[in-house]
Amino acid sequence: MADGNQVSSKLMDKIVYDDDVVKKFLFATIFWGAAAFLVGLLAALELAYWKSNLNLEWLTFGRIRPLHTNAAIFAFGGNIIFAGIYHSTQRLLKTRLYSDILSRIHFWGWQLIIVGALITLPLGYSQSKEYAELEWPLDIAIALVWVIFAVNFFGTIAIRRIKHLYVALWFYIATIITVAVLHIVNSIEIPVSLFKSYPVYAGVQDALVQWWYGHNAVAFFLTTPFLGLMYYYVPKAANRPIYSYKLSVIHFWSLVFLYIWAGPHHLLNSALPDWAQTLGMVFSLMLWAPSWGGMINGLLTLRGAWHLLRTDPIIKFLAVAVTFYGMSTFEGPLLSIKSVNSLAHYTDWIIAHVHGGTLGWNGFLTFGIIYYLVPKVWNNKIYSQRLMNNHFWVGLLGILLYYLSMWASGITQGLMWMAVDGNGQLVYPDFVETVMRIAPLYYIRFIGGVLYIVGFFLLIYNVWMTIKTAPKEEKVASVEVSSLAEKVTIGTGHRKLEALGAIFTVLLFISIAVGSIIEIIPTLSIYKYLPAASKTRPYTPLELAGRDIYIKEGCYVCHSQMVRKLPFDVLRFGQPSTIEESMYDRPFQWGSKRTGPDLARVGGKYPDMWHLRHMIDPREITPNSIMPSYPWLADKKIDYLSLRKKLSVMKRLGVPYDENMVANADIYAGNEAEKIYEGLLGQDPSLTEIKDTEVIAIIAYLQTLGKKTSEQGVSQLKR
Amino acid sequence: MSDVGQEKDKLIEDHEYDGIRELNNPLPGWWLMTFYITIIFSVIYFAYYQFLGGPTLDEELAQKMSVIESVRKEAQKEAQEERSENKLRALALNQDIIEKGRAEFVAKCIACHGDKGQGIIGPNLTDDYWIHGNGTISSILTTVEEGVLDKGMPPWKGVIAPDVIQSVAVYVYSLHGSNPEGAKPPQGQKVEYE
Repeated sequence: MADGNQVSSKLMDKIVYDDDVVKKFLFATIFWGAAAFLVGLLAALELAYWKSNLNLEWLTFGRIRPLHTNAAIFAFGGNIIFAGIYHSTQRLLKTRLYSDILSRIHFWGWQLIIVGALITLPLGYSQSKEYAELEWPLDIAIALVWVIFAVNFFGTIAIRRIKHLYVALWFYIATIITVAVLHIVNSIEIPVSLFKSYPVYAGVQDALVQWWYGHNAVAFFLTTPFLGLMYYYVPKAANRPIYSYKLSVIHFWSLVFLYIWAGPHHLLNSALPDWAQTLGMVFSLMLWAPSWGGMINGLLTLRGAWHLLRTDPIIKFLAVAVTFYGMSTFEGPLLSIKSVNSLAHYTDWIIAHVHGGTLGWNGFLTFGIIYYLVPKVWNNKIYSQRLMNNHFWVGLLGILLYYLSMWASGITQGLMWMAVDGNGQLVYPDFVETVMRIAPLYYIRFIGGVLYIVGFFLLIYNVWMTIKTAPKEEKVASVEVSSLAEKVTIGTGHRKLEALGAIFTVLLFISIAVGSIIEIIPTLSIYKYLPAASKTRPYTPLELAGRDIYIKEGCYVCHSQMVRKLPFDVLRFGQPSTIEESMYDRPFQWGSKRTGPDLARVGGKYPDMWHLRHMIDPREITPNSIMPSYPWLADKKIDYLSLRKKLSVMKRLGVPYDENMVANADIYAGNEAEKIYEGLLGQDPSLTEIKDTEVIAIIAYLQTLGKKTSEQGVSQLKR
Repeated sequence: MSDVGQEKDKLIEDHEYDGIRELNNPLPGWWLMTFYITIIFSVIYFAYYQFLGGPTLDEELAQKMSVIESVRKEAQKEAQEERSENKLRALALNQDIIEKGRAEFVAKCIACHGDKGQGIIGPNLTDDYWIHGNGTISSILTTVEEGVLDKGMPPWKGVIAPDVIQSVAVYVYSLHGSNPEGAKPPQGQKVEYE
């Protein structure tokens, strides 16, 4: 037993890394990436040429835009994050992942959620909260899978062989904790049926919570995990040390502390209380330097490896990704300045900004990582350097076409909306005129998208050939490390903290909780901002039914319901929207983009017949409209019976419906619908088939927008 | 192992993770300065708008709207002088004005009034009967500008430029007696035309 070899094998542990799950997540990244990009391409084409939705309700822009964003962020982005985190964490901590079973549940669970999204979003099951559209059963599934991921990750930290946590892991911890908090708080909702729920927050509360979530989905799903990946894969690929440890510490903590406050910059000049808007703006400005800290550390780590830019396409992808990160995080604070925002908000400039970040930063970093990882985990050389190079240039050209066309579109349209002539009149009062001006740019954006996707298909082919020509025998990724407790100096200050995973995590939680609590809690006491006696009535049962159809069709994707406190908004759409007007709105429908005009005050502006014809074919009313036709609304019957349950949930949430109205919601709605139907029939006796169809409900809803607030208040409802 | 080249002396001892080393470069001065400036600006900006009497969004809007309102009043005064029935009748003789009005009518009005003014949802504009006003150009102009919300006619003032709105009224007036095919039956009061 005293054999020398055996002694040494007792002292040395052989670790076999779990790269199988990494491979799985890489496959999923590529598969869902293709899906997300193609759906995006279709959405882009639909804005240029509306008929490309083939007149199918499942393919209308309102339904596939959420599918595109969710697929790009959570399917493409999510899977590469998991692949990269699982691959790098094992190596940074010199241990196999905590649990093989949890890794697999995590993988398959996440893919099932994506499939769920792929089915439910085109069917119109949506909460209409951006990047959080999925209905409650999927929300619960996301929370469960995320917890499994967290247990697996923190379990791995607990069994680590390396005492100190590297900066990449700090970013992973920030991601896991914060995304959990964001997702759970934003998804508190009460189910009405299997695929319908109402949020507990209403109006301004819902707006604030949603954009606290929405902005931090960008921060903690598209930024922190990718920064973590950058901190591992950039020094690895370039074989260079990290430029500055000190900068890592400072920019990490300032980034996670400041980011969480910035959400209200999505609601500038709106009805949100001024103080929250101002906080959102100044915290966005302060984010500029911490964001650039990451860019500097990434780019300067490549210092001394610049010659690789000529020879190594991976370095090209990584360097351009980090550069786009720098551009986007400069543009973000710029767009948060209230005056700049009044020009850019609701326009394609925001779309340009978002895609600079996603196509440039997230996309190119992902491609760089895929090209680095695939040869590593499949133990082969990349099939073709030339194809990698071609991918890089085609993709970059695609991004530039996309970015520049949407910049031009956004600034053009923004200036047209703002233009007031010497007589105090809008220069372009007709909204569709501003749409016509930018329509050609939608084709250029489409071409940009095509190029980006062509590049991605080169990646798919290259990766496929690399795997196909890989050696047949599985290479087991393993490493031998000393099993004896490491003799390391724990250190002091931040160095000490890096060795204390639990305390690090608690401090991280505190730093994201501060901004969240300070911004959200005061807004939950919404009544502070409302007049003592409310003059606003809740939606009638039929209006509520119409509202849910508006949400289902994704109208909010193109139409805002928020007249901002800006002169040109007031001239075009009427008095600024108030907090009170949306106090019963669950979910809020303030919107984030005006591809069509604002609808906050559309009620009573046009006759019912106008809306009917406009819904069935918008071009019959506005010849150049790019809105899809919605003929199916005039076929499908209103689901009257579900209204009882809907009203009872609303009542439980504090909406002042009386018992009688809840119990007879279907009858009330039927009577309302009958009135509208009779009115339309009087003008055109051939309309008998629209009786009790969804179009009647949506007309009722549209006609009440901006009209629910009056002296009679709630008593109006008891007609 | 990282390729450290000239920077060996900057390597931090003990900081090695899967072969990744870290340098102890200081924070770049310009970066730190940017950070400080944004923080100082933010504190001052927030304090000014929230505590030191800076205008609220409502106040800023009210101020800007009052400027626009006064400009509008001026412009309206001038426009009033130009809208006497006689002046408008004079315009009705100008074929260019009628053509300008027709173009706008096609863009905005035919959905309800029909391509020849024969009436669909909205009333026939070519007969002797008027629901609102008395068939004069100035009364047509008022109806186009103010709309008839109860009946679903939107107000076009502010949506169509003032000179174009005038040409639309002139064009509608010119349709009188054109007797188009499929004309909607008369509605409203019969008006005696000269």
